Amino acid sequence: MHYGHALTFGTFLTPSARDPGQVVSLATRAEELGFDLVTIQDHPYQPAHLDAWTLLTWLAGRTRRVTLAPGVLNLPLRAPAVLAGAAASLDRLSGGRLALALGAGAFWKAIGAMGGRTLSPGESVAALSEAIDLIRARWDVTGEGPVRLHGEHYHVDGAARGPAPAHDVPLWLGAAKPRMLRLLGEKADGWVVTHQLLRPGQLAQGNRRIDEAAVAAGRDPREIRRLLNVSGDFLGGPGEKWVEELLPLVVDDGVGTFILMTDDAETLERFAGEVAPALREAVERELPGAFRRPLRRAAVRARRREGIAYDDLPETLADTTIEPGDVGYAEVRSTYLRGGAPGLVLRPGTEEEVAEALAFARAHPHLPLSLRSGGHGISGRSTNDGGIVLDVSRLDSIDVVDPARRRVHIGPGARWMDVAAALAPHGLALTSGDYGGVGVGGLATAGGLGFLARKHGLTIDHLRAVRMVLADGSVVRASDHENPDLFWAVRGAGANFGIVTSFEFEADEVGDVGWAQLVFDASDTAGLLHRWGAAQEAAPRDVTSFLLVSPPRRGRPPMAHLMAMVDTADPETILDRLRPLAEIGPLYDQSVVLTSYASVMANASPDAHDGRGEPVTRSAFAEHITPEFAADAERLIRGGAVYFFQIRSVGGAVADVPPDATAYAHRSANFSVTTFGVDRRRVDAAWDRLAEHVDGLYLSFETDTRPERLADAFPPATLRRLRELKAAYDPDNVFRDNFNITPSTTKEPTHA
Amino acid sequence: MPDYGHDLLFGTFVTPSVSPAHHAVDLAVTADRAGLDLVTFQDHPYQPRFHDTWTLLSYVASRTERIHLSGNVLSLPLRQPAVLARSAASLDLLSGGRVELGLGAGAFWDAIDAMGGRRLSPAQAVAALEEAIAIMRQLWAADRPGGVHVKGDYYTADGAKRGPAPAHDIGIWVGAYKPRMLALTGRAADGWLPSLPYLPGGPSDLADLNARIDEAATSAGRSPSDVRRLLNLNGRFSDTSTSLLNGPPDQWAEELAGLTLEHGITGFVLATDDEYATELFASEVAPATRELVAAERRG
Repeated sequence: MHYGHALTFGTFLTPSARDPGQVVSLATRAEELGFDLVTIQDHPYQPAHLDAWTLLTWLAGRTRRVTLAPGVLNLPLRAPAVLAGAAASLDRLSGGRLALALGAGAFWKAIGAMGGRTLSPGESVAALSEAIDLIRARWDVTGEGPVRLHGEHYHVDGAARGPAPAHDVPLWLGAAKPRMLRLLGEKADGWVVTHQLLRPGQLAQGNRRIDEAAVAAGRDPREIRRLLNVSGDFLGGPGEKWVEELLPLVVDDGVGTFILMTDDAETLERFAGEVAPALREAVERELPGAFRRPLRRAAVRARRREGIAYDDLPETLADTTIEPGDVGYAEVRSTYLRGGAPGLVLRPGTEEEVAEALAFARAHPHLPLSLRSGGHGISGRSTNDGGIVLDVSRLDSIDVVDPARRRVHIGPGARWMDVAAALAPHGLALTSGDYGGVGVGGLATAGGLGFLARKHGLTIDHLRAVRMVLADGSVVRASDHENPDLFWAVRGAGANFGIVTSFEFEADEVGDVGWAQLVFDASDTAGLLHRWGAAQEAAPRDVTSFLLVSPPRRGRPPMAHLMAMVDTADPETILDRLRPLAEIGPLYDQSVVLTSYASVMANASPDAHDGRGEPVTRSAFAEHITPEFAADAERLIRGGAVYFFQIRSVGGAVADVPPDATAYAHRSANFSVTTFGVDRRRVDAAWDRLAEHVDGLYLSFETDTRPERLADAFPPATLRRLRELKAAYDPDNVFRDNFNITPSTTKEPTHA
Repeated sequence: MPDYGHDLLFGTFVTPSVSPAHHAVDLAVTADRAGLDLVTFQDHPYQPRFHDTWTLLSYVASRTERIHLSGNVLSLPLRQPAVLARSAASLDLLSGGRVELGLGAGAFWDAIDAMGGRRLSPAQAVAALEEAIAIMRQLWAADRPGGVHVKGDYYTADGAKRGPAPAHDIGIWVGAYKPRMLALTGRAADGWLPSLPYLPGGPSDLADLNARIDEAATSAGRSPSDVRRLLNLNGRFSDTSTSLLNGPPDQWAEELAGLTLEHGITGFVLATDDEYATELFASEVAPATRELVAAERRG
């Protein structure tokens, strides 16, 4: 009888208040020795003990790897709704290392003396059952409405959900009697029991009771880990004797965790050295290949989507993958601007894992596959409904490999604000976008229209090489010398060709910069747009500014918000450069500071994405802001179809690169124009009227899916070459998420 | 002139945001390294955007070296007083005597009620707080004979064992504005922790509030100086002086020294989530204020 749980080892330490340093050093020693778990008994009425929760949290700050658990927590003296929040906090602070082991209570006289409620054994089990429901409900941030539970023992009416813990915190119960074992089978994830207190045969009997209750509740008994507190000493005896005694408990009774009850460092050392490894070996000999990752709870499995072979996930990805019933799901389902409900979010942490994740996704060709780095994509669909998301946010390293040559290697999951912060100490910067929360992967394969564009070019112009995983799972490097075709395609159409796992950039030397935010009355919208365009085109390359015009609202005129960066630390030059920009209209407000690129980029909210619905945006490039274009733009802005209208200046160094040098071809444009609206048809109709003034589009800012947009994104020669390369690198069209370039060898899609 | 003569404490009031998980921890570490005396966190167990404050305090304590820590203030209605006392003693032992206990009688009763807590009227909440303080003090007095016996209307301890004793005398600091709470502060607390932005008349309100605490302390046979006066502050560092605590550090120092010398405030807790402001408060405001106060006290 076994339940398929990999064997783990823990300690059970006495939280002695007399010498607090001792229990702390035993816990850290246990971690060094390779123990997987540290448990601390909880008797809040016991003055010789430290409070278990406080101590566990302290230990979380002094350890890095071990799981921490009370052994077990005395529920009657802890309010479950508050405990749920405390557990979520501890799990988050510790990086997902909490297991919440609960007990129904014992020593009722002592509990009563503390002001706690005295319950009968039956009542205490019922109270624990309510508490479990309450705790799980507070953690379930995807559930509907606030938490309500009108129980016999706990009454919660409208408590907010959340915070969710960092991982699916297992709920273990200390249990011995039938009622508790039944509850455990119905609701818990682990059974904690002390070997010394069991009669022969009682372990098997307890397992049977738990398993029956689990099955009756529609669960799989393998969801429940069996943890056994064991004690004893070596008394000069050899470790083999321990192995001999413990082995049948694993093989016959399904114990998955042994928790060694000792406060003796030497016993811990000998157990770790002589017993644990030998027992693992013996178990592997007796039950070869029996141990796999633990099953997710039935309640989690119930939220799985159809058509995904969840149980076939490779071991390496299983721990980090998030599925709809998991606690982390709320934070990964949606993106910045788009709501989603993917069936599986794969979060590989290495290049090999990216290849494995891709292979898993390719085994599901009927499902949407979304690629996600920072989750800011407007055009790229980095979430979906019922499909697979391949999220590379864990590949977020930023290494300045050669400061003298300004060479920087960056993972696709890093965010631009973190890149800016990491480069700043070296006097370096990489132009990116206007928001620090954007991920590197999406932006650095599309273009990158940032605040240093006119001086230093696009983000992709700083790319010297990439490593990427192709559709067939192979890993290649692409640069001007290796796979130059691929390197050409990646710089402007990367999402169609593979998953970049590392970008090799050459950064720019950038010191302090001038940063201005000017607010104008834009009543004369067309005039202001035209004057800004002229001033910006006439400006030296060290000035890049973005103009955001918001439509009139409730009696207030249209407003224009200008953000300008001047790449110099000289205050005189900064003011010289800004003067013509400040004269484009009546100023409402202004601020100019000398700051760092990193400070400007540090503007993103730390919250998880929580987008809803679908963004409606359009994008185009313009050579100049002619009076005619400005007049039509004013009509668009005042027409009510759009709520956001932004023009970014480009040109300058961007135009130094020939249009055929990269897949991004819009080199002659001086401006990139973007709008957001609510209603697809209204926005399209209003935007299409600008057609005569504009040309092309910026891949990342366009959500129109009409087929002719592809021709706007890529001029004919570029598109032809991209289709040929697509046929070579991704003939099955695995990467179709962002402006799909269909392979030239496959048939054009037939029109229905 | 009510200067109660305590040494000055400088601290921060950091938002206990749950995301990113280490946001508050990092700011507390900054405050610790900068040499501040105290870092504090608000406590709203019903607020899912915040960490559980006790858990956060325990974690921060383990990641810092010298700084003292306190809730600012802990929501008593959702925390069992005897368990809280033992938790505080435990953390004080683990941290080498760095824990203070900021306590509030409770606010946001709808949210407390929704969490399964007991809804109390303001008068009941004050009485409950006083009972809780009695339980906690008895529980910490480990060398006294017998168990803890407090038979209150809201909290009862009936023979709970005493101990463990904390590593140092944990200060019980109370957030108070109304007469009943001020009287309780004078009778039973070691510190008073109001917030400057909540004083409708600004610093000049402090005189009257202090007088009430002093009076209650005296009638309870205590000295007014048994109650340290702390103050939560909002402010902004800028090059030019515009208003109270909105200007350069030397302006702050003068204003804070004024609060010490005129109103007896000896704990200044700045609400900030900004590393730079934290460092400036520690490196410029604190020493300059201390110097001004010391000079005046030498008088």
